[in-house]
Amino acid sequence: MAKKERMRIERINNGIVIDHIDAGKGIDILKLFPTEFLKTKIDYASYIDSPRMGMKDIIKIENLDVNAEWLMRIALLAPDLTISIIRNAKVQKKVKPTIPEIVEGILKCRNPKCVTIRETYLVSRFRVGRTETGRLKQQCTFCEHIFYD
Amino acid sequence: MTDSFDFKGRHIIDTEDLSTEQILHLVDVADRIQAMGAEALDLAKGKILATLFWEPSTRTRLSFEAAMFKLGGNVLGFSEASTSSAAKGETLADTIKTVSLYSDIIAMRHPMEGSALASTFYSEVPVINGGDGAHLHPTQTLGDIYSLFKEKGDLKGLKMGFLGDLLFGRTIHTLVRLLTRFGVEMHFFSPEGLNIPDYVRGSLEEKGAVFTESEDMNGHLADLDVLYVTRIQKERFFSEEEYLRKQNSYRIDLEIMEKAKEDLLVLHPLPRNEEIAPEVDRLPNAGYFRQATYGMHMRMALISKCLGVL
Repeated sequence: MAKKERMRIERINNGIVIDHIDAGKGIDILKLFPTEFLKTKIDYASYIDSPRMGMKDIIKIENLDVNAEWLMRIALLAPDLTISIIRNAKVQKKVKPTIPEIVEGILKCRNPKCVTIRETYLVSRFRVGRTETGRLKQQCTFCEHIFYD
Repeated sequence: MTDSFDFKGRHIIDTEDLSTEQILHLVDVADRIQAMGAEALDLAKGKILATLFWEPSTRTRLSFEAAMFKLGGNVLGFSEASTSSAAKGETLADTIKTVSLYSDIIAMRHPMEGSALASTFYSEVPVINGGDGAHLHPTQTLGDIYSLFKEKGDLKGLKMGFLGDLLFGRTIHTLVRLLTRFGVEMHFFSPEGLNIPDYVRGSLEEKGAVFTESEDMNGHLADLDVLYVTRIQKERFFSEEEYLRKQNSYRIDLEIMEKAKEDLLVLHPLPRNEEIAPEVDRLPNAGYFRQATYGMHMRMALISKCLGVL
């Protein structure tokens, strides 16, 4: 029987490691960053085994820092992930992104009849929370439509 | 939310922004205005109401305009998008900003949901939401609440049925959320696919409201104190076929009324199509035309309060 191969993701010296991403969602997280931020070494592994999650994605980005806004953007896509800040090849700290109750200017309403669709200069505003089952719930404050992750 | 009864300069976008005490105050003001008769003619003298209707709604617009005339004020505006500067590509923000420089108060209807709230960011004067798409219609709701108080005295413990298009019927969405505050028990009857939207159901559950949902009224009708009927709104459907399929799925007539309580109050936001037979109009139970008058008095109350003249 062939030995199960393990994918190796190289260590980075400085940068971030985004772990515990829902399998398949890593690509969406990468898309959040402007292209110029990503002109660096990136390791991205998708659908890898995880004892806790079954399957997960993991991303390592060399020489990238994330501020509070990026953390929030990332958290809105994958609220359960962990971000490790790496300095000199060591984990300097681990961050669990938190989502504020109100998120402005980041999400887009998907209700085709919402005023923000036609009047595009309006800054989007969402009430964000979790359902009883832990799903992410986003409510547009203009049309009040609720979207779930 | 504050409990202040000073409404001068405030916008009326959603009844959820009003405390129960403020709503009761508005009911009281509507009553006072109704009693004033011609004396009300001085209240808004020299003031201008702009009625901005991007979507046709003769009834709501005329009710606002009649309310302003009865307060002694003047009215300007447009009644459909094609006669507004939106036809020339003007943004909502610019229209509101400009009109608010010509007027003292704005009543608006717009097809996009959330448009009234968005307008408050750009207006120099109070904005009253006269309906934003299938979303909210607070002045109808407040008029309906006033109707219920006038017709039934007290709302606590009332058993109220809602029949018709409960998905697109914005009057229903706003009203049912408010009724939870007054201890009204609610029963929703709608053709398949036209039941109350998730966000309204969620809001009712959150507030611990007592309500049931079913496709027909059998088993509930004899217990109801109030039946609120709505029409199937053709303009909300994407296909004619879908509309026609739903249109004639329910109708209140004398036969149905026989099975109801003697003092069942029938309300309807109007205009109606086939859902209430004209023969029902002659029954004292038919409250829908009185409801239209109560609605106008409530709009008089709102205009007066937001202008700060009462």
